[in-house]
Amino acid sequence: MGLFTPTRLSKTLSFALCLLWAVAAFSADKPISGIIRDASNKEPVIGATVRIIGTNVSTGGQNAGTVTDVNGRFSLTVPENATLVITSIGYKTATVTVGGQTELSIALEPSASELSEVVVVGYGTLRKSDVTGSTVTVKGEELAKQPVLTATQALQGKAAGVQIISSGQPGTSPVIRIRGTSTALAGTAALFVVDGVLTDDISNINTADITNIDVLKDASATAIYGARGANGVVIITTKRGVAGKMTINYTGNVGFRLPANLVEMANAVEYANYVSTASGSLIQPGSISTDWYDKILRNGFQQNHGLSISGGSDKSTYFLSAGYFTDQGIVIDNIYKRLSIRANNDFTFNKIVKAGISASYANGDNQIANLNTAYNNAYRAAPIIAAKENGKYGNTSVYQNVGNPVLDIEKNNNKAIDNRLLGSAYLQIQPLSWLTFRSNMGGDWINRNSRVYVYQFNNDTTTFINPGGNQRNPNSILSLDNTRIFHWTWDNLITFNRAFGKHALTALVGTTAEQYTLTNFSAFRRDVPATPSLWYINTGNANTSTNSGTGDKYARNSYISRINYNYNEKYLLTATIRADGSSRFPARNRWGYFPSVGVGWLLSNEAFMQGQRIFDVLKLRASWGRVGNDRVPSDSYTVTVQPNLAYPFGGGVATPGSAITQIKDPNLRWETTEETSIGLDFGALQGRLSGEINVYDKKARDLLINVKIPSVAGDADGVVLTNAASIRNQGLELTLNWRGRVSDDLTYRIGGNATLNRNSVIGLNGGQPILDGGIGANQQYTTRTDNGHPVGSFYVLQVLGVFQNDGDISSYVNANGQRIQPAASPGDFKYQDTNGDGRIDDNDRVFVGSYQPKAYFGLNLGVTYRSFDFSVDLYGNVGNQVYNGKRAFRQNVLDNIEKSMAYSRWTSANGSQTEPAANGGNLPPSTYFVESGSFARVNNATLGYALPAALTKKVFIESLRVFLTAQNVLTLQKFSGFTAELPGNPTSQGIELNAYPTTQTLAVGLNANF
Amino acid sequence: MKPVVNYILSGIAFSALLLAASCQKNFLDVPVQAQATAATDPNLAVNLVTGVYNSLYNSEAFGGAGGDIHGISFISATNIISDDADKGSTPGDQPSIGDIDNFNTTPTNNFVAALWDGYYSGISRANQALAALATASLPTATKNQLIGEVRFIRAYYYFNLVRFFGKVPKVVRVPTSAQDANDDPAFQTRAPVDTIYNVITQDLQFAIDNLPLRSRAAVGHANKGSAQALLAKTYLHRKNWQQVQALTQAVIQSGQYALVPDYSIIWRSAGNNNIESIFETQSGTFNNSDIAVGGYCTWQGPRVGPRGGWTDLGFGFCTPTQNLVDAYEPGDKRRASTIIVIDRSGRGVGTVLYDGFRIPSGDSVQNNYYNYKAYASENPAIEPFLGNRDRKQKNVRLLRYADVLLMAAEAANELGQTAAAITLLNQIRTRAGLPPTRSAGQAGVREAIWNERRFELALEHDRFFDLVRTGRAAQVMRAAGKNFVAGKHELLPVPSLQIQLSGGKLDQNPGY
Repeated sequence: MGLFTPTRLSKTLSFALCLLWAVAAFSADKPISGIIRDASNKEPVIGATVRIIGTNVSTGGQNAGTVTDVNGRFSLTVPENATLVITSIGYKTATVTVGGQTELSIALEPSASELSEVVVVGYGTLRKSDVTGSTVTVKGEELAKQPVLTATQALQGKAAGVQIISSGQPGTSPVIRIRGTSTALAGTAALFVVDGVLTDDISNINTADITNIDVLKDASATAIYGARGANGVVIITTKRGVAGKMTINYTGNVGFRLPANLVEMANAVEYANYVSTASGSLIQPGSISTDWYDKILRNGFQQNHGLSISGGSDKSTYFLSAGYFTDQGIVIDNIYKRLSIRANNDFTFNKIVKAGISASYANGDNQIANLNTAYNNAYRAAPIIAAKENGKYGNTSVYQNVGNPVLDIEKNNNKAIDNRLLGSAYLQIQPLSWLTFRSNMGGDWINRNSRVYVYQFNNDTTTFINPGGNQRNPNSILSLDNTRIFHWTWDNLITFNRAFGKHALTALVGTTAEQYTLTNFSAFRRDVPATPSLWYINTGNANTSTNSGTGDKYARNSYISRINYNYNEKYLLTATIRADGSSRFPARNRWGYFPSVGVGWLLSNEAFMQGQRIFDVLKLRASWGRVGNDRVPSDSYTVTVQPNLAYPFGGGVATPGSAITQIKDPNLRWETTEETSIGLDFGALQGRLSGEINVYDKKARDLLINVKIPSVAGDADGVVLTNAASIRNQGLELTLNWRGRVSDDLTYRIGGNATLNRNSVIGLNGGQPILDGGIGANQQYTTRTDNGHPVGSFYVLQVLGVFQNDGDISSYVNANGQRIQPAASPGDFKYQDTNGDGRIDDNDRVFVGSYQPKAYFGLNLGVTYRSFDFSVDLYGNVGNQVYNGKRAFRQNVLDNIEKSMAYSRWTSANGSQTEPAANGGNLPPSTYFVESGSFARVNNATLGYALPAALTKKVFIESLRVFLTAQNVLTLQKFSGFTAELPGNPTSQGIELNAYPTTQTLAVGLNANF
Repeated sequence: MKPVVNYILSGIAFSALLLAASCQKNFLDVPVQAQATAATDPNLAVNLVTGVYNSLYNSEAFGGAGGDIHGISFISATNIISDDADKGSTPGDQPSIGDIDNFNTTPTNNFVAALWDGYYSGISRANQALAALATASLPTATKNQLIGEVRFIRAYYYFNLVRFFGKVPKVVRVPTSAQDANDDPAFQTRAPVDTIYNVITQDLQFAIDNLPLRSRAAVGHANKGSAQALLAKTYLHRKNWQQVQALTQAVIQSGQYALVPDYSIIWRSAGNNNIESIFETQSGTFNNSDIAVGGYCTWQGPRVGPRGGWTDLGFGFCTPTQNLVDAYEPGDKRRASTIIVIDRSGRGVGTVLYDGFRIPSGDSVQNNYYNYKAYASENPAIEPFLGNRDRKQKNVRLLRYADVLLMAAEAANELGQTAAAITLLNQIRTRAGLPPTRSAGQAGVREAIWNERRFELALEHDRFFDLVRTGRAAQVMRAAGKNFVAGKHELLPVPSLQIQLSGGKLDQNPGY
């Protein structure tokens, strides 16, 4: 600040205080530093303006001052007896006399609303009041209190426009969809930015380490991420140390998970009745009645512990943490463990140079349940077969050609170990108060080892109660797979930040480069002994060994720039442009240009608004932006030769051969999304009410889809990936927060958000509809992605009812009098002959909705009474459909049925119109399997109690809070299956086939600061 | 002054960083990893030729890449469709195969679609190989031999295509892009049957001219005899008897082939590439696993029935019909090595196969009969087997010397040389343990030869084509109780998806 101000060279008071500040010492002023915190919650206040008064100082035309960084810290060189004025939107102005202090801790009283927050906007921060795009910030502490693995899962219901679809399977990350689904085949994952490192997966990040999550939702906000921004950007900022006393924090919880919402299956008697009717041959129930889900599910133990130490001096700060998470899951043999360690350090070398690192290591150890087969088999396996008796398994295979699910799980040992190092280091040079250079290098190393061992067993009486069937594995199998990924990013940025009278301008220019490499290797042998200590390749039969390996590499190079302009705290302008080069496109289409512009009007700062007392803050925003999506396979445009198409001339060992089997589109280009968004932010009633309303219209074009081409063209799979489709999402988001205060003892808050979204394919541009969602052998596809309908719409036969008698069947004719279902029997479904051609086939299918919800909402309540706090979070979605894939998969007359089907099945006596007569499955896809996907759920309820400080301090604990938390307390759903929350690919989403059972978690925990 | 120095230094440092990050030359020219391109494979042409042979294995019947050339779709459209085999398996399994069996096939049938995909996928591989060979730097003789082998396979594919579908698109080049394929009418419209037969004839004539005799060719490769035999069979379908006679006589007189004494070993590994073999798919091992036509044995393997209690060998499709079982003459040795008969005597003795494997008696087995020719032993001491049930090492015999003899007999008979025809026919009967034919006269001998073909080549993918070729399909199929419509069911429907994708330019076969 004072670099070029010779008038201040005389001040020398602080010279001896800090040798490091050698440069500053030339100015002879006193260096001070400090932290500014929110008086109510003690959180650092980011972006607060600190100005010096007391002497009429001018520095290059500016008032001397600075702005606090992301940790709420600031450094200044001040004259003696200086007085600081600290202002920040949303806080009352504070005036502080420096006096003899060199390290200040200043508390700001909140004035009004949440608009005061500083938000991370990508390659920089902005005051919320200056933001013209749509972003939402969620505090880490809001997320950390939930007993779940990832922050994304905890984000569910917390932010409008952000849909989180979670499976609940240990060790997995949920699907995140920001403002609808706007791609069909390219990746839909939002981009995560962890301390500047770009990644697609944050399951390695300990939620307790997170300060804030900022979600950039609209194209104008994400355009700074250009080609990575189409699906939204989630920026994660982890905690850093604050100069001052060392703080030790422990937070942990211990609990258990239990299955919720199980579908009740028929017992032996119900099964025998139904199947006897369906098959026409008598089945005796016998004495055994197996509840297969009971046999493969259990209550799982879960724990999460985190310990952090932070602190520092004015030269360096540190934040160190270690976390340990265990999630046993509710399927037998399933357990996920994660150890995570973090070190975030910042070093201030002098007034000009700062540097820091953020480093995290995580070890994820996942003992995976063989769910795909076992869970489906548990649905189908007959209850009249024993699961396991005296160490021998019931032979469902010989009875009904379905594997014994307990054996499926117990004879498979599937383990995946991830070691991941994700971190970044920065060097920041600020030669002038208004000029900052920053270089940030990030790296993401992943080493993933998976091991699958399948025990040897035969279909004889050693393994089974009775012999036979096809469930057997004559030779044990060991397969190992190693994947190593290294992804580096390097950003170099220059930021200018100056104010000229009523004009304030922040400008950013920079470059980024990144490179991704993946190396995969796998090996396989049979006849590996069953002792786990021998599960290495060399113990297997070398004559059976096979190996394989593959790799991937791509690079991106980008130029970014952004201007934030603020005139008189009333009119705002943001403009960005990013040029992205990606190796994943052919040279002529390699570069994409992604501009955006946003304007804002702070009405509340206008003179005409000064008289009113309702609104503290009122801001109108409008923005437009264009972003891209380059998440396509790296080989999408290159014609490659498929190797190892061998042929053994004369028998014996084959000669390797190859073939060119794929036609590629040499003109492949970016998927481009354009979005227009208008929003209104408001804070009212002295900060008690705040909220925002956004409307958006998002059109994604040039979407990559597989276009079917005639087989004669010679493409082996008959499809070519090309840019053909367009998808539109239009929506409305509403967020309202109320903070109330009944008395000093009792405060409460109510927050709600709702999102309405309409998803529609608006053009296939020569592409064919995408048929997807095949289930089992009989339902080759159940969804169709086509013009005018949401992505992945269910496309099935319409059930009109059930034929009650032969008369119904013979009178069911088309316009020409042709009998439409002549082969039907009473009790069969009557399907709609949509095209009137007198027969039921694929041409009669109709669209019946999709998994894309019409609306989703979250509701968050909190009450604090003295030392008690209580909070409840709700989440739900409405207006979507799910497909009961388990029921649809039923393909053998001996497969089990749901208990409800045993009683509601059609009989001539009950005349049901909705449930067919007892049948052997193999039904065509129809509306029978399509059910409402609407649900509402109490995601989390937490009751906490802070022990009196007087008490805890006796045992050297600064503060101690104990809490009881319950995750997924209650779900209200119409769906008759297990869960209506089904992550999946856009074109086949919402089919419940092998979904992990919904779970409830109950946990107790404590949070202590030392 | 120090701050100024700092300022300058930092400015320089950052300029350098910016440049380093952005200006690294070719930073974005990242080659595709782990996959060769035509430019990076030095041995491309030869490898592509092997890849053409590999397409003989294509067997994806459910929409998988590469389609079906010799898998269950082929089995369905050649054997199951005929009066020699039923769909088999359980009644509910694969109803679309039942549709083929009963002539209820619709243009959406997935097995028919898989055949169209498979054969054009194979033809595409051949065209790719021919394109690469055209520019490969190989000795001319080697190059022509490789071209001959590829053209032999392409001709074989077109021969099956034209017999399945009649008119089909004539595709003899590699499209440069999807757009090229969309723009060239050759890819979009069906060429007349005569045009396709011309392609076949020219390909095979090139192969005959450039391939060595069997004894000088490597085992498993197409050779001069294979091309002559296939061209003879092509002419057989065109009723060009002079050419059939000339070509079959060339094969017979080449001295390269003979009938093996024991009919039963023809379809076993012991009979692989034996003296009777003219062209057969090869099997062996690759990457420590079995490699062969996918699922050939498993689709047709005996299937467990209601009582269970044993590990079955497959899905039980393509079961020999009672009609076939009953049609053999007494004493015909071929019946026992063509048909596995399940024990339904009630004595519980089961059926013991040649390798000692015992199939339990009928109440544990789904069907009455199974295809013995598709049986592969799981005992590695008897037949090579590394445990991959989906690719049991079975050579699928596509052309045998016995077929050549019968074609020669038929040509001789049609050309009025009835005595010569009988001599040829009796070679086949003698091996089968049967007395010389009692048929006489051109018409009688014609019937006898046709009849002999049925038993000699039973379940060898010939019967239905033979019935259509000889104009007997309608009569024989209706007699077998099938709803065969003459003028329609001789051909399969063109897959409706392909018609859609051509923008309606592909036309449909009559009646569909």
